[in-house]
Amino acid sequence: MSSSILTARNLSKVVASAEGELTILHDLSLALNRGDSLAIVGSSGSGKSTLLGLLAGLDLPSNGTVALAGHDLAALDEDQRARIRAEHVGFVFQSFQLLDSLNALENVMLPLELEGHADARQRAHALLERVGLGQRLTHYPRQLSGGEQQRVAIARAFVAEPDVLFADEPTGNLDSHTGERISDLLFELNRERGATLVLVTHDERLAHRCQRLIRLEGGHLVDHVEP
Amino acid sequence: MTHLPLARLLSLATRQLLRDARAGELRVLFFALLVAVAASTAIGYFSARLNDGMLMRATEFLGADLLLSGSTPAAPEQVSQGKQLGLEHSQVVEFSSVIASDAGIQLASVKAADSAYPLRGQLKSAAEPYAAEQTGPGPQPGEAWAEARLFAALELSVGDTIEVGSKPLTLRRVLTYEPDRAGDFYSLTPRVLMHLDDLAATGVVQPGSRVRYRELWRGTPQALGAYRQVIGTKLAANQRLEDARDGNRQIGSALGRAERYLNLASLAAVLLAGVAVALSAARFAARRFDTSALLRCLGLSRNQALGLFGLQLALLGLGTSLIGALLGWLAQHGLFYLLQGLLPAQIPAGGLWPALAGIATGLVALAGFALPPLAALGRVPPLRVLRRDLLPVPASSWLVYGAALFALGLIMWRLSLDLQLTFVLLGGGLITALLLGGLLLLGLQSLRRLLARSSLHWRLGLGQLLRHPLAAAGQALAFGLILLAMALIALLRGELLDTWQDQLPEQAPNHFALNVLPADKDAFAARLAELSPHPAPLYPVVPGRLTLINGEPVRQIVSKESQGERAIRRDLSLTWAADLPEGNQLLAGDWWSASSDDLPGVSVESELAESLQLKLGDRLRFNVGGLDRDARVSNLREVDWNSFQPNFYMIFEPGTLQDLPVTYLTSFYLPPQQERRLVELSRAFPAVTLLQVEALLAQLRSILAQVTLAIEFVLLFVLAAGLAVLFAGLQATLDERIRQGALLRALGAERKLLVQARRAEFALLGAISGLLAAIGCELISFLLYRYAFDLAWHAHPWLLLLPAIGALLVGGAGVLGTRRALNVSPLTVLREG
Repeated sequence: MSSSILTARNLSKVVASAEGELTILHDLSLALNRGDSLAIVGSSGSGKSTLLGLLAGLDLPSNGTVALAGHDLAALDEDQRARIRAEHVGFVFQSFQLLDSLNALENVMLPLELEGHADARQRAHALLERVGLGQRLTHYPRQLSGGEQQRVAIARAFVAEPDVLFADEPTGNLDSHTGERISDLLFELNRERGATLVLVTHDERLAHRCQRLIRLEGGHLVDHVEP
Repeated sequence: MTHLPLARLLSLATRQLLRDARAGELRVLFFALLVAVAASTAIGYFSARLNDGMLMRATEFLGADLLLSGSTPAAPEQVSQGKQLGLEHSQVVEFSSVIASDAGIQLASVKAADSAYPLRGQLKSAAEPYAAEQTGPGPQPGEAWAEARLFAALELSVGDTIEVGSKPLTLRRVLTYEPDRAGDFYSLTPRVLMHLDDLAATGVVQPGSRVRYRELWRGTPQALGAYRQVIGTKLAANQRLEDARDGNRQIGSALGRAERYLNLASLAAVLLAGVAVALSAARFAARRFDTSALLRCLGLSRNQALGLFGLQLALLGLGTSLIGALLGWLAQHGLFYLLQGLLPAQIPAGGLWPALAGIATGLVALAGFALPPLAALGRVPPLRVLRRDLLPVPASSWLVYGAALFALGLIMWRLSLDLQLTFVLLGGGLITALLLGGLLLLGLQSLRRLLARSSLHWRLGLGQLLRHPLAAAGQALAFGLILLAMALIALLRGELLDTWQDQLPEQAPNHFALNVLPADKDAFAARLAELSPHPAPLYPVVPGRLTLINGEPVRQIVSKESQGERAIRRDLSLTWAADLPEGNQLLAGDWWSASSDDLPGVSVESELAESLQLKLGDRLRFNVGGLDRDARVSNLREVDWNSFQPNFYMIFEPGTLQDLPVTYLTSFYLPPQQERRLVELSRAFPAVTLLQVEALLAQLRSILAQVTLAIEFVLLFVLAAGLAVLFAGLQATLDERIRQGALLRALGAERKLLVQARRAEFALLGAISGLLAAIGCELISFLLYRYAFDLAWHAHPWLLLLPAIGALLVGGAGVLGTRRALNVSPLTVLREG
């Protein structure tokens, strides 16, 4: 597994609840190579988002380890994990998570500006052209439709050329037609840029566009489909 | 993101800030801070400059900014040091001398002054007795001016020659007004003013003769302060330093109160600033939770995210404060421009300090109140991007808020230079806030039960408050504080004006009559009754000096520079009375009960008693016209020195001094247009000395009018700032209401229902705030009256109107301010999910 970009071993997540401890993820392992795409499916509450959060280093497991780009996330503190995210990871969220006070171009520029790239504007501009929003650069999120907002979010996710892209229900807030076009865009860009894609969804059609699929139920891995 | 240098963070912060500003994100915080800084700067400037202006007027009573007086000439280095500091100097020597003319002799109080005299205020004189007054420089060498009563007593006319000692001087004009004479009511003898250059030739001033040397100084406050420091500690035993505040009790107490009031007003502005900034900073932070989470996802470390927001806040604070200070400076200029006819022509510019204080106020308020929410931003878990319900871990805000309060206290103290006032205001406010906040929470919770049975718009409106009782309590407290600050300033204004009105009623006595002989007493009283509606009684006066206290020479007991020292240096006007005089209050002992031994009782003024360390039962010896009289202290009295009535340090039991040569003293009011009748009175009773204090009264009235004006305007300032802050505060609570409005619209609620719900909510919030303000205001006013203003406290029933006023104000402003929430498209809710 020397070419693995993302590895999880024996992951568990236990949270405290009113009825005592609750295990929301049970002993899960997986490994992804560069360029792989993985869909995580399951019903609400099955632990999909929890798993995504652990894989992306947004949260820490109760047991087990996650290695991202060769770094053991559990051995790092939050700031070090933030650095790993900045260098290797991109995100697309169900609720888009664009900053209201920035226009489309500025939202996409943000990750590059944080890294201090001088060509942030040109690169963001080019990517927005690529996702078909060349005419909406100065529009604010509230002036854009849901599909347009998600395109901006996708452009933002890819602009820093991440190794791994995490997408949390990227079409969940969109109608089926728009959702279709957004997922086309997502997979196209993923192919073009050779990133690894980890996709959480309950849309089976979207899931089946990935090379691999795992299904969760009550925090257990119940299905693992390899191409 | 291994490395994010400060320069890049700064440029990022600047860019973000500009983008936020463009998107309208910063409006509320910017506006709140702007109002806060502008208001405190404007009030700071206004009160500082006005205070300087008033002090300038008050310095007229000394004829100088600072006065060094003593019974021996000032040491040469004491004079040269002042001159080296750039101070202007004038020298005056005062002594008593017998003036001789062909018609007789008269003891006069002579003042020899150099050409620079007076340094503040102006001399006034007339060409003939009772002719029109003119201002101008004093007598030249070889000349003398005298008061009209000397002309009358010695049958002199202008152009005659009088002799002071062995120096003949030509009487050139009639002296009508010396600025520094006003406070000195009890000068029994008429004044002669001559040039200092002639003093040596008189031969009157010899070693051992009773002479007062006065060095007058004028200059910048810095130079005066430096001079005070240089010579203050090295004064000779017989020397004193005085400024306007020490010089005159009436002016001193009026100025002192006015100053405290203006200080209080600027403190209220700071408090308002704090509330405004706290409200909007919390909103600023809450709206950045998502941003913070996203930035963390994008790889910013916690410290970098914090640094980014902190820098944004700092840039915003600095920029806004600068603009605010400029606005405040312009506003006070506008104000002085409007008032130019009523204020002295030259008012000091006020310097940079009020602007700096305004800016510091803004920055510290921003730091103090925005830090806790900002710290929360650092604790937003990045996982929030997946789960929006994740909020930052609640902080141990006590420490941070404690620091904020401390900083606020520091500003208030620096601004008011008054630790007591700051403590009273800050401590009172804090205790009130905590107590009332607790009560409020309980009240809100019990409201829940009532709610179930009320109509829909009440349930909707109150539901909004009850859903987050802690937030609602916070809002009510914030609005309550705003109303409290406004009410307190309004309340004190009325109180101070009333006090001054009482102190200087329309017909305050403007004349004193001294030296009324026992034979003339009844006739004089009868004549006076025709002239003046309410003359004071005629008090017997026997001049006497206190020599021994409990057998010890008084000079060994009394500390130098004390009031007691001044009192024993000269003859006291001793009197006797069967009843406690009006305006006096007994503090200890009894008013003439039978004493244990055969010594007669004496009543002593309480401040003098304190200064002389006198207790009830102490044995005093007075020297009266060469005879010794013993008495025992039988009570201590508080005297209202602000009244223009004859007041006495020592009042004896009746029957103690009657055998001694006595004259009578009284004060009375004569309308200015009847001044001529004074001449008749003076002709009918030539031995009586009539003193006019109209000039002093007029001066005092004009100062008080100025202060009153200032107070009215400061009140307007505070009210305007309060309203602005109220609006800013409402804006800060807008987000949640927009969401709720959209949701209700989406669910099919009519606009009317939303308006009613909103009205119910804000009216209730306003009423609660008003109630809190009323309670807090009474509490703080009680503390302030007692410990800061020295006024008698009584309840203020009109404060009960505050809940209604609050309901109207907050209700009206709330409905107006949240109109946007009613017009928002339901789509907003659908978009935000």
